Amino acid sequence: MAASTSVVPVAVTAAVAPVLATNADFSDLREIKKQLLLIAGLTRERGLLHSSKWSAELAFSLPALPLAELQPPPPVTEEDAQDMDAYTLAKAYFDVKEYDRAAHFLHGCNSKKAYFLYMYSRYLSGEKKKDDETVDSLGPLEKGQVKNEALRELRVELSKKHQARELDGFGLYLYGVVLRKLDLVKEAIDVFVEATHVLPLHWGAWLELCNLITDKEMLKFLSLPDTWMKEFFLAHIYTELQLIEEALQKYQNLIDVGFSKSSYIVSQIAVAYHNIRDIDKALSIFNELRKQDPYRIENMDTFSNLLYVRSMKSELSYLAHNLCEIDKYRVETCCVIGNYYSLRSQHEKAALYFQRALKLNPRYLGAWTLMGHEYMEMKNTSAAIQAYRHAIEVNKRDYRAWYGLGQTYEILKMPFYCLYYYRRAHQLRPNDSRMLVALGECYEKLNQLVEAKKCYWRAYAVGDVEKMALVKLAKLHEQLTESEQAAQCYIKYIQDIYSCGEIVEHLEESTAFRYLAQYYFKCKLWDEASTCAQKCCAFNDTREEGKALLRQILQLRNQGETPTSEMPAPFFLPASLSANNTPTRRVSPLNLSSVTP
Amino acid sequence: MASVHESLYFNPMMTNGVVHANVFGIKDWVTPYKIAVLVLLNEMGRTGEGAVSLMERRRLNQLLLPLLQGPDITLSKLYKLIEDSCPQLANSVQIRIKLMAEGELKDMEQFFDDLSDSFSGTEPEVHKTSVVGLFLRHMILAYSKLSFSQVFKLYTALQQYFQSGEKKTVEDADMELTGREDGERKMEKEDLDVSVREEEVSCSGPLSQKQAEFFLSQQASLLKNDETKALTPASLQKELNNLLKFNPDFAEAHYLSYLNNLRVQDVFSSTHSLLHYFDRLILTGAEGKSNGEEGYGRSLRYAALNLAALHCRFGHYQQAELALQEAIRIAQESNDHVCLQHCLSWLYVLGQKRADSYVLLEHSVKKAVHFGLPYLASLGIQSLVQQRAFAGKTANKLMDALKDSDLLHWKHSLSELIDISIAQKTAIWRLYGRSTMALQQAQMLLSMNSLESVHSGVQQNNTESFAVALCHLAELHAEQGCFAAAAEVLKHLKERFPPNSQHAQLWMLCDQKIQFDRAMNDGKYHLADSLVTGITALNSMEGVYRKAVVLQAQNQMSEAHKLLQKLLSHCEKLKNTEMVISVLLSVAELYWRSSCPTIAMPVLLHALALSKEYRLQYLASETVLNLAFAQLILGIPEQALTLLHMAIEPVLADGAILDKGRAMFLVAKCQVASAASCDPPKKAEALEAAIENLNEAKNYFAKVDCKERIRDVLYFQARLYHMLGKTQERNRCAMLFRQLHQELPSHGVPLINHL
Repeated sequence: MAASTSVVPVAVTAAVAPVLATNADFSDLREIKKQLLLIAGLTRERGLLHSSKWSAELAFSLPALPLAELQPPPPVTEEDAQDMDAYTLAKAYFDVKEYDRAAHFLHGCNSKKAYFLYMYSRYLSGEKKKDDETVDSLGPLEKGQVKNEALRELRVELSKKHQARELDGFGLYLYGVVLRKLDLVKEAIDVFVEATHVLPLHWGAWLELCNLITDKEMLKFLSLPDTWMKEFFLAHIYTELQLIEEALQKYQNLIDVGFSKSSYIVSQIAVAYHNIRDIDKALSIFNELRKQDPYRIENMDTFSNLLYVRSMKSELSYLAHNLCEIDKYRVETCCVIGNYYSLRSQHEKAALYFQRALKLNPRYLGAWTLMGHEYMEMKNTSAAIQAYRHAIEVNKRDYRAWYGLGQTYEILKMPFYCLYYYRRAHQLRPNDSRMLVALGECYEKLNQLVEAKKCYWRAYAVGDVEKMALVKLAKLHEQLTESEQAAQCYIKYIQDIYSCGEIVEHLEESTAFRYLAQYYFKCKLWDEASTCAQKCCAFNDTREEGKALLRQILQLRNQGETPTSEMPAPFFLPASLSANNTPTRRVSPLNLSSVTP
Repeated sequence: MASVHESLYFNPMMTNGVVHANVFGIKDWVTPYKIAVLVLLNEMGRTGEGAVSLMERRRLNQLLLPLLQGPDITLSKLYKLIEDSCPQLANSVQIRIKLMAEGELKDMEQFFDDLSDSFSGTEPEVHKTSVVGLFLRHMILAYSKLSFSQVFKLYTALQQYFQSGEKKTVEDADMELTGREDGERKMEKEDLDVSVREEEVSCSGPLSQKQAEFFLSQQASLLKNDETKALTPASLQKELNNLLKFNPDFAEAHYLSYLNNLRVQDVFSSTHSLLHYFDRLILTGAEGKSNGEEGYGRSLRYAALNLAALHCRFGHYQQAELALQEAIRIAQESNDHVCLQHCLSWLYVLGQKRADSYVLLEHSVKKAVHFGLPYLASLGIQSLVQQRAFAGKTANKLMDALKDSDLLHWKHSLSELIDISIAQKTAIWRLYGRSTMALQQAQMLLSMNSLESVHSGVQQNNTESFAVALCHLAELHAEQGCFAAAAEVLKHLKERFPPNSQHAQLWMLCDQKIQFDRAMNDGKYHLADSLVTGITALNSMEGVYRKAVVLQAQNQMSEAHKLLQKLLSHCEKLKNTEMVISVLLSVAELYWRSSCPTIAMPVLLHALALSKEYRLQYLASETVLNLAFAQLILGIPEQALTLLHMAIEPVLADGAILDKGRAMFLVAKCQVASAASCDPPKKAEALEAAIENLNEAKNYFAKVDCKERIRDVLYFQARLYHMLGKTQERNRCAMLFRQLHQELPSHGVPLINHL
């Protein structure tokens, strides 16, 4: 081996390079599988466990390669050979989390792999010490002051190497991580982009990029490498940025190409459906996922949220017990158990488990919000406010926390005060009807009916989830004696309900029919009035009124002209609706006159 | 500032799942700087040989408090501070720290073990409950709570602190070798005053809770009393962000950030900070052991109230009203009368434009007295006095009321309100046209020392009352023709209230008004016109009025008339009587300048009636002057003369120089006109008297540099001399007139049509 020193490295780079250079499309799945297996190996060697796991999972979803196609392990270079002993020793130390020891033995190594492991173990050692310190931070070291001491040195060394262009893809990734930890976001983004160009296969770099990009605009201005990995990245970031339609489209494409077995993609799709509140679809996908990968813990908190929303107690209980058996000290497990207790109305215990989740991972934002909800249930508003505030501190874009704060103040009967919070929530989710309805209710309480009307109308226009906006709007119109509009709203409401075809009993249906009957009665439209009155008779609370009205109509009709012979089709049935189905709901900008800080 | 909360209830599980130092009630901890201060204390307590002298000890004692309270400073700075008070002590402190830092861990341990000795003995050096004693005990306690690893960390921190200090001193020594010893010394002295502030800017490390509290309360009081001395908005925000980063639970910082955002008129961030503060505060209230549920509701009420105040400050009156309603409702539900009182005062502020708002105010004052809220009560009285003054109540009643509230102020030492009260008196005296009294009150405020603690060097804070008083002073001086003095006052104002601070608008308006008046006197109408925009930006009504005045002076009568009519109806709606009368006078002038003095008469009579009703004495005599002039034009000079005799006294006593001149000029004109029908000897006598008066008028006009009027006077004098046959004097006047006439453009207004 020593004889061919001058030749081998060139040959190796030549051999490895085409493997690492990735195509933009998915035409050659075998090639992709090879690349995935290779990168899984490379990342494992460098202790980047999560990336390795991701690549391996994805590789597993593709059909197995025949023996002939199997990639031989990349040949060992001269430098690698020199550092082999040190590397092997250090890797062993690294694996048992003795980072300082690993770094010590790697000091002075020249090969890229060893150098990366050297720097990485220094970084991890700093992080570990930081964590230890946080626990021990009584006295002069208040939290926040504890920081990873190694970061500064690492940055200096890495930036030198970076300028000399001596960093490979992994080195760039580590440099980016260090920059991000130092809150140098702009620089970090640049470095991560560079890392994806140099080594597009490394999922970790893409993932870090996902965390740093906060809006669509930023995404537009990134110059990303044109590889198939980009598709995964885009799909992931669309999910993060709540651009669910686009994300689902991307994932569907990926599945069509041949990644249908990938549990990663399946789980992401489920999460996406959860985000747009398509609960049934999300549930079925999660169930499928559980069958495929029964010991999976990731994303199970989302699953439990869905079960919670649907109040599926037994399923949730099963999931909780199951996860608890797998690993009870995982954030997701705690979250699932918390949800379980919450569903059983044992809110103290639920809060306890969310707290445990936070102890395991202080930056696990969902738990803060959920804990806020629990405190709300326990009527401990001040604690709820605290929890929500913490959630906001961790992530300002958490609309649930803003919404929760608004709700809390609404419960405290401070409608003006909670406007601010609802507005924040609305800004984050402009097309979520729940915030709009909440805003409308507040305005209604403040007697600002014009604003309230705007909100309700808008809530209806963006697709009302709870189907309450129209009724509220109609009642407002009723209050303002704008009977024409009120009737319109009730009609729309009834059409909506019928077109949904849900069997769920709607409380307000009777009110709507009652009002409509009276409205038509006043307008002397006897046919419509009697149809509505008949409908009224179907409900307990309006039966008497309906009957009385029918009698009156009959009387008046007998006095007046002869009834029209043909009975028109009921105006509210979906049949009549189908003619002008899918009304183009024009969404005008919500222009609330009040100042919106 | 309320004391910082210790979150006993929520924190243990909160905040990154980390148990907090606050939980154990430790507000302070040991840092290397604190150790240095401890060494200093220890050295000071040493008796026997090398003990410090009495003078030095006094200086050191003065130094100690800022050292104990302030943020950590570098070792070299500490040395310098000690050195200035007592060089020999600085040396020994330095040696001891060096020994400790270069020695072993056990030196530090030994040091802390020995600390408690100072309490022992029959006559301890330090009393246990003194400031120093408390500090010592805090430190000992904090040290003993440190875990093993923390003790070691503290020691390494001490070593680093010492080394960085060493480096600094070496550098300094190098500097001194270059040979600027004298200059250096002086510089240091000057630096010392600012050093505390600079430190605050650059304190990058975490502050301990005590230090943070000190910082916040200091900055908050500076923002209130003397904005220029506080940190600039940007750097203060930076500090606060830093503070919050290290201690996110420090809710008071959010409040200060709210105040800071108010300074820069940032509605978004200020709302955000305010609500954040109250979200945090609600927690504190909840754990108030004394009044459980009550405390929690309390912060809710005040949260709504503060939100109302915020919207009010930004001029969102409708929003403010909604928030206020909410506050009132919650306060009513929980029977919180104190909060309700606050709400009531704000309700008055919001409803000021309504006519019946004084009823609210009266209620508020009564109730506030009943509930023992002196601040609110006397603030209410002051607002009431202001409102009544505009409504034309007699001065003696107002002054009585102010005197009563003054009693309250002195009793409760509400220094802020005392200042306001005096400033208000100044304004009231000016409103009534008593310039001497106004001047006296303004001077009194300015020569008074503040009761509150003020920063070194000055006796006063830069509050709004001072700005108001100084503005009045400037205007009064300008009225008397002392333009240099007025300019001096304005310069001072500019220094004390830099252009972007809260109260700068006051002097900006005042400055422009004075400039405008001068330009008008000078006949530079284009210059005056250019100032109108500036005035309008600061006070639209005043701006419109001045615009009309300029138009009138430029003979654009119809435009001026239109503007004045619009302004008149607007002012009448707002019940701004002062302005109404001024406008009426201008309208009257318009009429007689367009040769219809008969129409001017009823207008003037209306103005007179108004000014008498509202007891605006100065405006009344001004109206009488105008009335006399109108009579003169109508050809009844005898009547005019008797009228003038009535009005001339207050004008000469309190009037502006220009008005005095105008009055004398008018008297002379009337004398001449009424003498026309007399027999020659009497006529000559009257003419002589008129010439005398004209001379006086000329003097007055010369003082305010009003050349146009001097020209008129000279012309008139020349004619009179001619009539008397005094050729020499006549020629002199004519010559002067000619000189001025060449200098000034003539506007073609006949002499007689000009008051």
